[in-house]
Amino acid sequence: MSIEPAWSGAFDRGAIQEVAALPFAQVREWAFGGSTGAGVRVAVIDSGVDAEHPRVGGVVGGVAFHLDAEAERGYVEDEGPHGDLVGHGTACAGIIRSIAPEAEIYSVRVLGANLKGRGALLHAGVEWSVERDMHVANLSLSSKAEAMFGPLHEVADQAYFSGTVLVCAANNLPGPTYPSQYASVISVASRAGSDELALAYNPHPPVEFGARGIDVEVAWADHGSITATGNSFAAPHVTAMVALMRSKHPWLTPLQVKAVLHAASDNSVPGPDS
Amino acid sequence: MPTPRGLRCAWGWAVAIATGQDPALGRSVEAVRRLFAAAACSVALVDDDGETLRFVASDGAGADAIVGVTIPVSRGIAGWAAMSGQPISVRDVQTDARFARDVAESTNYVPSSILAAPMMTTEGEVMGVTSVLDPSVEEASDWTLQVLGTLASQMAMLLAGGHGPSTPSPTEALGRDVLRVVEAWQSGQPGHAGPSGTRAPGAR
Repeated sequence: MSIEPAWSGAFDRGAIQEVAALPFAQVREWAFGGSTGAGVRVAVIDSGVDAEHPRVGGVVGGVAFHLDAEAERGYVEDEGPHGDLVGHGTACAGIIRSIAPEAEIYSVRVLGANLKGRGALLHAGVEWSVERDMHVANLSLSSKAEAMFGPLHEVADQAYFSGTVLVCAANNLPGPTYPSQYASVISVASRAGSDELALAYNPHPPVEFGARGIDVEVAWADHGSITATGNSFAAPHVTAMVALMRSKHPWLTPLQVKAVLHAASDNSVPGPDS
Repeated sequence: MPTPRGLRCAWGWAVAIATGQDPALGRSVEAVRRLFAAAACSVALVDDDGETLRFVASDGAGADAIVGVTIPVSRGIAGWAAMSGQPISVRDVQTDARFARDVAESTNYVPSSILAAPMMTTEGEVMGVTSVLDPSVEEASDWTLQVLGTLASQMAMLLAGGHGPSTPSPTEALGRDVLRVVEAWQSGQPGHAGPSGTRAPGAR
């Protein structure tokens, strides 16, 4: 079998290549400056969010999906408050809150205490986020199930055309993972550093962006915190950046959001004919 | 959703491993422990009910005590990797409320740091988790996760394929990939071109 490129290695091995960007002047200030994320709906599709965690500071709403063999689609959804079973979603929500303090966070719980059916519930969570007009959804998880390639691709395209930006963590495992592999999403891997708004574009996709994800102090279960490394923690940094820019510029489409992120990347330089 | 064939296959193999009938996985966890110069390495597999992780192989500190132990998939760093499907590295796990301290103490070895990576079936379901305790790797990058994620996937293939020691080809393939990963890791050290840096500009 082949070994997939080390996506994070493209960002933190001292070899970030320059990429030519559109001539956006002062793009970082234009995109992020002064923004709090106010008015932006952010879905955290994960293991749930502990709304009472000090680093999270509350959630606006949420839904939990559960497998149910008797249900028409194999699962049921319960809208309303719920906890975080393992701390993963709380960690992501805490990162988003630290960068976009006024964003409206919704917890979309698709991971439960049973590992079966992860792909179907992941699909349901993305679909819910599109139907509820989330501006951006964070997916620090993915599926390697080949059977989910088509369904997740379809709902990712729906998200793209209806204005929900999907930000997906890449996975440091061999072989493709979905939906992080799709061009319609923003895929993210870890990058060293302490700057929450640091961003780099990878000229060798499919993983396109690198953000802070090495030795990050994150919220955890039982109101705790830990220092952890993983692409799971890189994606929420970009999700928060998207929240900042969509708060200032609500008209931005997913296509434009990605172009702005590209231009705002640390390794973006003016094109040769600029 | 039906239980994946690979998962059933792995479980059957896990029983064989736990009862000492097949040492192939034991050799693999020993190799991973040595690669990371770690205190211990273990493999836990998802039970048929999808709700429990059972430690089926281990090498190093506390190895004898951990094999056979079961924990819910929502517990510990191993459970975190199993649920999320994402590799993770945690420093100072003793401050982590989710760390399964009681499990660690029962083995008479409580680690400071843990690497954990999910093991996937060929169908893409989480089969189990490979954990490395107290690796002697200080590099501030997630290359350790890249390496462990690759090795965990290889061990999953070994298990799902149901190969035993009498069919050495998967083990040989594992050895080759270990070597490639280590070489890629070494070539990516500062002062050397990393894997991405070895590609031609514009290459996909």
